Amino acid sequence: MKDQILQALRDLRDYALKKNIEATFFYHEEDSYLMRFANSAISLNTNEHLIRLEITAYDDRRRASYELITDLKNLDEMKQGVDITAEMVKHAMPLSYQPTVPTFKDSFVDENGFDSSLASLSNEERLEYFNKAVAGLETDDIKLSGIFSCGANTIAQINTRSEHTQYFKTSDAQISIVLSHSTLKWEVIAEQSAQKKSGLNPTALHRDLSYLMERYQNDAPQQIPLGKYDIVFGPAASGDLLSIMNWIGFSGGSMKRGFSFISEEQVGTKVFSDKFNLTDDPTCLDTFPFQRDLMGMPRNSYTIFENGVFKCFTWSQDDADEYGAQPTGHTVMHKSLVLSGGDTEVTTLEELVAMPRENDILYIPFLHYMNLVNPSKGLVTASSRFGALLLKKDGSVVVPYNVRVTQSVLDIFGDKVAWMSKSQTINNTSQSYGARNPTALIVPIFIQVNDLEISHSNSSY
Amino acid sequence: MRKKLQEQIERLKKAGATYVDARWYPVEESNYLMMWNGNLKNATSSRESGVGIRALYKGAWGFSASSDVSNIGALFNKAFDNARVAAQRVTFPVRLAEKEAVQGSFSSPNRIDPFAVSLSDKISFLKDLDEKLNKPGVTQRVSELIFMRKQIVYIDSEGSEIEKKIIEVFPSIQVMGVDSQGESHSRKFSPALMGETRGWETVNQQLFSENAERIVREMNEVLVADDCPKEDRSVILLPGIMYLQTHETIGHALELDRILGYELGFAGGSFVTLNDFGNLQYGSTKLTARADATLPNSPGSFGYDDDGVPAQDNLLIDKGILVGAITGRQMVEEANARSHKQIFNGSGGANRATAFYRVPIERMTNINIDPGNDGSLEDIVKNTEKGIILDGDKSWSIGSNREQFHFATDIGWLVENGQITRVVKNSTYKGETVKFYNSLSAVGDQSTWEVRYVDNCGKGQPNQIMQLGHGIPVCRFDNVRIGE
Repeated sequence: MKDQILQALRDLRDYALKKNIEATFFYHEEDSYLMRFANSAISLNTNEHLIRLEITAYDDRRRASYELITDLKNLDEMKQGVDITAEMVKHAMPLSYQPTVPTFKDSFVDENGFDSSLASLSNEERLEYFNKAVAGLETDDIKLSGIFSCGANTIAQINTRSEHTQYFKTSDAQISIVLSHSTLKWEVIAEQSAQKKSGLNPTALHRDLSYLMERYQNDAPQQIPLGKYDIVFGPAASGDLLSIMNWIGFSGGSMKRGFSFISEEQVGTKVFSDKFNLTDDPTCLDTFPFQRDLMGMPRNSYTIFENGVFKCFTWSQDDADEYGAQPTGHTVMHKSLVLSGGDTEVTTLEELVAMPRENDILYIPFLHYMNLVNPSKGLVTASSRFGALLLKKDGSVVVPYNVRVTQSVLDIFGDKVAWMSKSQTINNTSQSYGARNPTALIVPIFIQVNDLEISHSNSSY
Repeated sequence: MRKKLQEQIERLKKAGATYVDARWYPVEESNYLMMWNGNLKNATSSRESGVGIRALYKGAWGFSASSDVSNIGALFNKAFDNARVAAQRVTFPVRLAEKEAVQGSFSSPNRIDPFAVSLSDKISFLKDLDEKLNKPGVTQRVSELIFMRKQIVYIDSEGSEIEKKIIEVFPSIQVMGVDSQGESHSRKFSPALMGETRGWETVNQQLFSENAERIVREMNEVLVADDCPKEDRSVILLPGIMYLQTHETIGHALELDRILGYELGFAGGSFVTLNDFGNLQYGSTKLTARADATLPNSPGSFGYDDDGVPAQDNLLIDKGILVGAITGRQMVEEANARSHKQIFNGSGGANRATAFYRVPIERMTNINIDPGNDGSLEDIVKNTEKGIILDGDKSWSIGSNREQFHFATDIGWLVENGQITRVVKNSTYKGETVKFYNSLSAVGDQSTWEVRYVDNCGKGQPNQIMQLGHGIPVCRFDNVRIGE
């Protein structure tokens, strides 16, 4: 299949060259499977096989793109796309800067992240996984929801500047299991990400769900008072907070456009807690990485924060072209963010609950519907969801109704960070808007931040 | 192609499927142009075609889709196989509400097909706007044009065959500036419904010119304004934020699949229960809301939904009492059965998919609030002792059951003793949904009512971006916390 894809791209390149068209070709193929559960049934079982081709034509400073959903057998349709793009670029307005057309110095193939046994998982295997993960946990009132999303993703590129190609193939699975009470409306979650079939472990999810279920089934929920709390964020919450910094934090383009809480003057200065070490690490297979970016630039581990000191912005090629910066290998569909673990030995929720504590601790595993209130200040707002717990200093545990946190990430990851767990985990942040793009971060399992304000506390679910 | 689809539908029926439908998109096109600070950053077009198949077997759905229609039989088989596996885990077998077989068609009203307009003309429009936005105080300026065109052929095993030709046009402009503290602020404009068609003719140069001037002026006022106070006030929501309030806390809260728990694994549920229909005092008696897919010339009006059910105008909230929901054929049957009473009389015609490769789910149509009897915006301001007028959707975050929310807006104008006093920046408000709507104390008349378009409503897994509308008057709510 790889040869067929690359040959189609070479044919398109030849066609463009014959017509004297400067162009790049971006091929994306997904074979996606989604088994979705709701009310303890399979509510949706889908498969989509889609091939997208994006053609970008350049004429000095002019640039235009055309994307089509097509089929490899349909080369004539793709060639028509080249003609359409070439016509579009004639009418495009010149940019104020010179856009860089990629020139691949050699051909590159990366299939390290592809596991055929995960990509070809059967319907029966997906169902069996779910059945194992929730065995004995469902009742007439407690219902199962969630997804088993898996598939294969292929990206291939060529351009008219060189005959070399880039080819990336990966497999991925994202599992999310929710158990919720149909009348009391509480809900708990367990999640897993896998890049290989061997990474699938329904037993681990069963253990996590069992522990939370025991709390939620037996303890009456409470509205907790507004005020300041020491909060322990779980991996999904930390992952969301880090993801939003892609947008309003360390992106050079965002900074230049006024959407960042970090300024150019802060490079080399302390922004966060000295416990905060963030890298973009494309060697980490669990993040579904790009080892080269889409301009052909090799990607190595890239330190963004070291002991809280902001080291450098990330620059995509287009932002670098526009603002006269050096590209940093970040013309990618997603980064491979890794937040280093700390030195606290706590790996499971049971261990967290058992830890001695001087104050009450609010455990928030998941932040729902996060949005930016003020990007210049890093101010975000979101609500807790899916299994929050209030760990009282006397050792008891309270099940709280959901609360709202409206805080700046400067506070959340600043000097208020008390500790981070040594153990890390994968937080799969894949979204299914548009084309498949498996994405994950590596984060400490727990991060405790002291003295954060709760701005709203629900009186029910 | 139609004949092939009919044959395959019949074949699956014979194989044991209780229901089958096919949505064939012969063509779907989009065109996106975005100019940022004078640079045409995006000049993108797209084209796609393909087929999506839905099959029902022993009470379970299977779905498959592909752009490759060379082996259409295999695609139908895949949908059927997916349904067969899904049938191994069924708790409430899917039943579909009765409907008439329909032979119909729908075309979006438009005079000038935007895809027939030259790229040069479109860019010239953006360039002209960009120059108008390039004024002192403006650090970033963005002008966008989004055009969509799709042809959908729907065929089902109950004898319906429907063809839809949909055209959408979404133009918008935005300016940003930085205040003396280094904080960014923005102001934007996208036109409300105008006239009876929505082709290229609605991209109105004069309207955009006037509003370009206005948003630059208002943003510059925000840049030198004080922060929004942190206190309780009456909030007067203009359509530019009231549409989103309605969208998030009436629209999504009343999607019947959410109410029944079908989105709990992702987007969340709803505080509304089946027992609430006919009983819940959702808002004050000034609140009447409806799902109106018959409103002419809006993206929320589409002729027939993707269950083949004709568009309807259904009441959701009648003088404050919850009476209806956003529904499709499957969910109304399940809701009636689960509640042991007839809450819903058939499908509300709101089951839609965003593309051939996505499955239809309950989506908002035009979720509107009826105009009230409290006069114009000036009248409402005159009758407000201590308030704030808010406009512009800067940020929104809603609880997982839509029970509480936090919004930030682009601009606020304080109101004291019936007079607008001054502009404030970083305006926010928050509340609990039912308490908030029960504090609705004034609803503007027809002069304040606008139909706002939404081009990017997200829902479902895999996620689907849908286009819809909101017909909204100016509304005032009392004792609302602002500035947090």
